[in-house]
Amino acid sequence: MTKNTTIDRRTYLRGVGAALALPLLDSMGWAEASEKAEYKPPVRLAFMYMPHGVIMDQFWPTDSESFLTSPPPALESLRPVLDQCLMMKGISGVPNGPFKGAPHALELSTWLTAALPNPDKRDVISISISADQIAANALGAFTTLPSLELATMPQTWKENQAGLNEAYYSHCSFRSPTQAVPAEINPRNVLNRLFNKQEQSSGGASTGMNPLDRNMLDLVLAGARDLRRTLSPTDQHKLDEYLDGVRSVERRIASNELRQKEAALDKAGVRSSRRHESDSPPIEIIIPEGDRRSEYMQVMCDLNVLAFQTDTTRVCTYIGSTPNGVSYPELGFKDQHHSTTHHNNDSEKVRKVAAITAFNIEQFAYMVKKMHSLREGDGTLLDNCIMMWGSGLEDGDRHTRENLPFIIAGKGGGSINTGRFLPDVNGNQGDLLTTLLTCAGVPVDRPIGIATKQIPEILAKI
Amino acid sequence: MNFRLLIMAKTLLSSAFIAVGLGVFCFATSTCSAQSSDDVEFVEPKTEAEKFFRKSVAPFIKTYCLECHQNSRPTEAGLSFTPALDTPGHAAFSEKWKKAAARVKAHDMPPDGSEQPTDKEREMFIHWPDKIKYLSPKDPGTFVIRRLTKTEYGNTLRDLFGVDPKIADALPDEVSGAGYLNSISPLQLEQYLSITDEVLNRVLTHDGLPVRRSQPSSDDGQDVSHAIDVDDQRRTTAGMIDLSLFVEPPVPRADAQETARRVAQSLAKKVYRRPASDTEVQVLTDVFELGRQSEMSYPAALRLMLRAMLVSPQFLFITPADDFDNKAVIVPLDDYQLGSRLSYFLWGTMPDDKLTILSDSGKLRDPAVLKEQVKRMLEDPRSRALFDGFGAQWLRTGDLKTKTFDLSKFPEMTSEMRSAMYEEVRLFFQSIVRQNLSIAELIDSDYTFLNENLASIYGFEEAIKGTEMRRVLLTDKNRGGILGMPGVLAATSFPNRTSPVNRGVWVLEQVLGDHVPSAPPNVPALDKQDQQSVANLTLRERFELHRSDPTCANCHRLLDPIGFGLENFDAIGRWRKQDDNGQAIDPSGELPDGSRFSNPQELKAMVAGRLDDFCRNLVKKMLGYALCRKLEGYDEIVVDELMQAIAQDGYRMQTLVTAVVTSYPFTHRRAQ
Repeated sequence: MTKNTTIDRRTYLRGVGAALALPLLDSMGWAEASEKAEYKPPVRLAFMYMPHGVIMDQFWPTDSESFLTSPPPALESLRPVLDQCLMMKGISGVPNGPFKGAPHALELSTWLTAALPNPDKRDVISISISADQIAANALGAFTTLPSLELATMPQTWKENQAGLNEAYYSHCSFRSPTQAVPAEINPRNVLNRLFNKQEQSSGGASTGMNPLDRNMLDLVLAGARDLRRTLSPTDQHKLDEYLDGVRSVERRIASNELRQKEAALDKAGVRSSRRHESDSPPIEIIIPEGDRRSEYMQVMCDLNVLAFQTDTTRVCTYIGSTPNGVSYPELGFKDQHHSTTHHNNDSEKVRKVAAITAFNIEQFAYMVKKMHSLREGDGTLLDNCIMMWGSGLEDGDRHTRENLPFIIAGKGGGSINTGRFLPDVNGNQGDLLTTLLTCAGVPVDRPIGIATKQIPEILAKI
Repeated sequence: MNFRLLIMAKTLLSSAFIAVGLGVFCFATSTCSAQSSDDVEFVEPKTEAEKFFRKSVAPFIKTYCLECHQNSRPTEAGLSFTPALDTPGHAAFSEKWKKAAARVKAHDMPPDGSEQPTDKEREMFIHWPDKIKYLSPKDPGTFVIRRLTKTEYGNTLRDLFGVDPKIADALPDEVSGAGYLNSISPLQLEQYLSITDEVLNRVLTHDGLPVRRSQPSSDDGQDVSHAIDVDDQRRTTAGMIDLSLFVEPPVPRADAQETARRVAQSLAKKVYRRPASDTEVQVLTDVFELGRQSEMSYPAALRLMLRAMLVSPQFLFITPADDFDNKAVIVPLDDYQLGSRLSYFLWGTMPDDKLTILSDSGKLRDPAVLKEQVKRMLEDPRSRALFDGFGAQWLRTGDLKTKTFDLSKFPEMTSEMRSAMYEEVRLFFQSIVRQNLSIAELIDSDYTFLNENLASIYGFEEAIKGTEMRRVLLTDKNRGGILGMPGVLAATSFPNRTSPVNRGVWVLEQVLGDHVPSAPPNVPALDKQDQQSVANLTLRERFELHRSDPTCANCHRLLDPIGFGLENFDAIGRWRKQDDNGQAIDPSGELPDGSRFSNPQELKAMVAGRLDDFCRNLVKKMLGYALCRKLEGYDEIVVDELMQAIAQDGYRMQTLVTAVVTSYPFTHRRAQ
């Protein structure tokens, strides 16, 4: 199946203006390509968020028959790839419970957890591990980065709704019930992180992570364990987050060593057996100069694509915007997203909310279309991915969550039956997340949040 | 027996079974016995609060609330008073009590059609949350080892190495003070590693020799001196890491390890902000040996050791110097931890040598010494961190620089203008802190700080020239004080117009500390009103129409008059007599309690008249910031005490800061 081949990966990052490390094309997890076995790329999972809900009659398809032929206005940008998409109506969000006064702190924090914050410990983070982090725990072992968390704006909105910790307002990924995962907002940092490139500006030889670092970190880790013994139980718990972080960094160093070894072999003409010769070369990343939101979001989307394409990570979460006073000057008006969504059917405001929604979906469509254009294995990169776009509210005006808006793109390695609109699915957001994780091959040993079942309608018949 | 008691104390604490908890608590711990005399003081109010609950609150709940809000499914609004009837002081319920009181106060609850309490009963219930605190046991709260914030981390690197704090820019931005997310992720750790490398590359060569500051460093041709501001350098070199340690030692190799050990000890005391234990020094010496085994020169191996220190938890977190005593429930902070807490609170950076010396001698915890240090520290330029970290957040001017304005309407809002607006508030705050003035000055004063650019907002552009900010006396009584400051007025506006609601909320919440419930969803907005019939009305008249809706009226009859009282200031703080439609502005208003004002000056006087509320709010906000947590339960009692001390001293700003720093929760922690 595979041939002796050298993929030219040296030129693709010209736009960055620096020679970067080679992308990872190693043996970690990529299915073994033996003479007999069919080569099967891994399934990758991404989540992209928009706050404040949608204009319902411009978002929901009229019926399943017309979904492909005359989609609703909000989906216009997805039209060329609608056959790769799946939509379903009838997925309810987590009931607000005692947090009626915290619609926006809940919309994002419950989005991937499908669970409410602990009402007895509002001041600190106390919720459930989120679906993306469950996936990262299972799939992260195969890749350099267990997961990638991206955002468009700093996660510093300071609003204390219903006494809930501020971080609920701007985070959706939780590594543990008490640990919110911060997102990276600088595309250049993301690129460096993906390819473990240190800024070369100040040093001579790269001082990036090397085996000596690993030994040094081992000693630091041992020292931290000594420290742990002298601490109180609550302090110990906090230090465990540190220990966990160091171990994760160590694992990265190890996988980088492996990557370098592979690259050396590759250079010497020893075949890199994990890729199809017909696979598209990794995409080029160009970091925009200006501050146009569309360009910025697109480069973040590109980074997501590149990370998946090079199998640097299999899980990516992108908070396209957090629920706060963001505005979209590019669309020709300065109004803030949030205040506009309280439109009360004022036609002008409705128009603006619809434009903001379409804009966000357009960025998602940009990513999906790009993935659809990239060859991988016998099909496209998109075929092997599950890309979920959504919001944590349905109607931002009334803060309703009965029918959360989601768009799924990609066939998840053949597990998802796309090109359909399912007008009457009966399930909740935990059910949906549980189903998607299962499709990505993540063993889900207990329901995610409020989940009670899977949603079989979205699966491909096997 | 003793052991069993301890377990009991723990269980009791965790279930917050407060009534008996207090007694057992002191039984089980020696450290807390010193406080038992204080506890006695609160026995009386505690008994009284319990009695009040039994006699008044519980019957109120049973009569007016319990029918809907009880343990049955579905519980109305997810609120059940059933558990609260047994343990009214449970921390989990404190938020609910406050909200319930706010609802009852606003006549939202009990709902129309249900039996209504008398005004007297309502009044009783509204004041119940003030008494709940007496049910709480004396508790300083936990002080879990705290990671340095992004800002603190950058500043600390500046103080250790003289590098620009911007070196930490790649770290994720975060909320500081109350709401601070004290966690660490793999992403942050990776960034700590790479920032550490960048720092070391600026000050040491790869062979571990100090980079010469005045000329380009030898191996990469980069000028490293650019990052260091001259003043900064003069100020901080004193406390910086002594790079002259990084030389080839004049000793044979056999003694190198011993020399390295001594270097480790001296560096660690700075980097870890406390003396390192023998075990910690051993770990560092092991790192040094690792370098030596990898054929590194002596200075290069020291550099590796320093690198290890900078990614160690002892550097990244504020850790206690003393080992945990598993018998103690509540302990005073050790002097080093206290020094760090103080220094990061007021300076946003590590303690300087003077503080460290006081910690060494065990004198820092002495309240008189703390008071002296607060004064010294507030006079130091580093204390601007108190405004950047706390003041700006409190007054909501922190995001002025990134806030969107409609530039076609307000072309004045250039980045220079935004900076000047921020600086005005900062310098004003700082002047009150440094001169130790009464906090009443914050509301009403006769001076401010302007440059030419900002003076144009005040209409003084003729008199003030140049970009430098300077102190300016004000004669217009509508100005002077935070209510009339362009930075604040702009921060509370929409991009294209003023928001009387935002301004009203700002005054009530940020200044007076009142709790404003958030608007219910599906709120009928201004635009819903019949466009024809409102076309000729002013914004104010339209608001009044909107207020005729009873669901909105309760809050808005308080919010709106305040917001409209500031309508003479446009969305970027310029004085005006007419609104955008050319209609005359009517700034007069009446509050629900019947008090009236006719212009911003009188509104300001009314706010200043509530000095006690303003002070209480400032104390609570500052204490929450200093402790990095939300206040609850016992903290309310602490605030009461601080209030007394501050009021007795004429509400002076430094007294307020000192009160926070010497307070029980700042100087103690619950260890388990």
